[in-house]
Amino acid sequence: MKFRRSVQALGAAGFGLAAISMVPANVFGQAPNYGPPATSYAVEAARYPDAAKKPTPHMPDGHPDLTGVWHHFFGGIIGKVGDNSVALNFGLSVPHSTAGGAPVFQQKPDPMPEYKAQYMAKVKALDENQVKEDHTLHCMPAGVPRLGPPQEIVQTPKQLVVLYADLTGNHWRVIPIDGHHNADPEAEATYNGDSVAHWDGDTLVVDVTKLTDDTWLGDNGLFHSTKLHVTERLRRVGDTIQYSMTADDPVVLEKPWTITRTLTLQPDTLGEMPPCVDNDAGHYVNLEHHDNAR
Amino acid sequence: MRTKKCLTLAAALFCALPLVAHHSVSAEFNADKVITLKGVVSKVDWVNPHIFIYVDVKDESGKVTTWRLQSLPPMFFKNSGLTKAKLLDGVEATVTAFPAKDGTDDFGFLLKLSYPDGHFYDLGNGAAGPPPPGK
Repeated sequence: MKFRRSVQALGAAGFGLAAISMVPANVFGQAPNYGPPATSYAVEAARYPDAAKKPTPHMPDGHPDLTGVWHHFFGGIIGKVGDNSVALNFGLSVPHSTAGGAPVFQQKPDPMPEYKAQYMAKVKALDENQVKEDHTLHCMPAGVPRLGPPQEIVQTPKQLVVLYADLTGNHWRVIPIDGHHNADPEAEATYNGDSVAHWDGDTLVVDVTKLTDDTWLGDNGLFHSTKLHVTERLRRVGDTIQYSMTADDPVVLEKPWTITRTLTLQPDTLGEMPPCVDNDAGHYVNLEHHDNAR
Repeated sequence: MRTKKCLTLAAALFCALPLVAHHSVSAEFNADKVITLKGVVSKVDWVNPHIFIYVDVKDESGKVTTWRLQSLPPMFFKNSGLTKAKLLDGVEATVTAFPAKDGTDDFGFLLKLSYPDGHFYDLGNGAAGPPPPGK
């Protein structure tokens, strides 16, 4: 929400590289609420500009091969200075166009889910108290779908293994293809739910149920019920994946909510995330916070 | 609260930058005050959502106080070359930080480590400013 407003402000004013350089030196002092749009996707796309034009590899069974490292949660915005020094450099996080050097905000802001009128106040209250109410800010798993699109995929003819190195730790899903839901019907709902996949032409469709309502759909108090049903679609185009996630929660949402991402095959490995340790609880003096877009 | 911040020019720019962390720095630390310490890094916790750096500061009487300084998320350091081993080099550094707002002793947000040979680790995006003369 906040991010969208910020980006609109940027776009309306037509800021370019000069604007970025206007970020005050004491940014923590003047704007300590640093919130992230998900432009790490743009950074990753900029590393491999012709990725979508490459041939799409296929498995021996004829289906597209989704195997690869596709996305990193975030990283690499501390740059080297000389031989031995480093400095935090926000500019490293935003790719610049070759013509004019303007920042490239490839990612459009996500639409917001439409909640039923009786739940709007709850979303607002959770949003305003996110520091207290958002479990991920205390190192609990983000869960599906907030965890974001796959970061690494290992595909076999019968299953998809999806790996995530997240701020909240390392997470995984094993998704049977053309199989059936695995979870015991009487088992407790989980953070990543129970997934099963099937091919719809060249698109792999992943169906996720049994998701705990301990998680949110995203930042800003976007809670959901245990009736949440998530559908992910992955279509490989060259060395990119067109990914979409639709969250259908007939209890709290007015209509299904869909977001999309373009993932670009990455040349590096998915590193292990250090554990998440909540060292901050007890030191907050106000509720200021920002998004952690995934 | 956050919306209000994003309405200012500087904040709008900052809010639009793709950073990832956790709560706001200002929820815990006083960004209007920079403290300066001299000490040796004695321990580093390389954990999410922020690494923590411990600095042993010796006063004039020789008493050592260990400061606990929050820093940036570990993934920010990817490809920077700055590692735990480099931070634990045993050399006394001039350290700048924002102090805790809640009054916790010896707790702050790390801005910059500067070393006698001139090299530095500026993790506060310039917020620390140059080290005070003679320090």
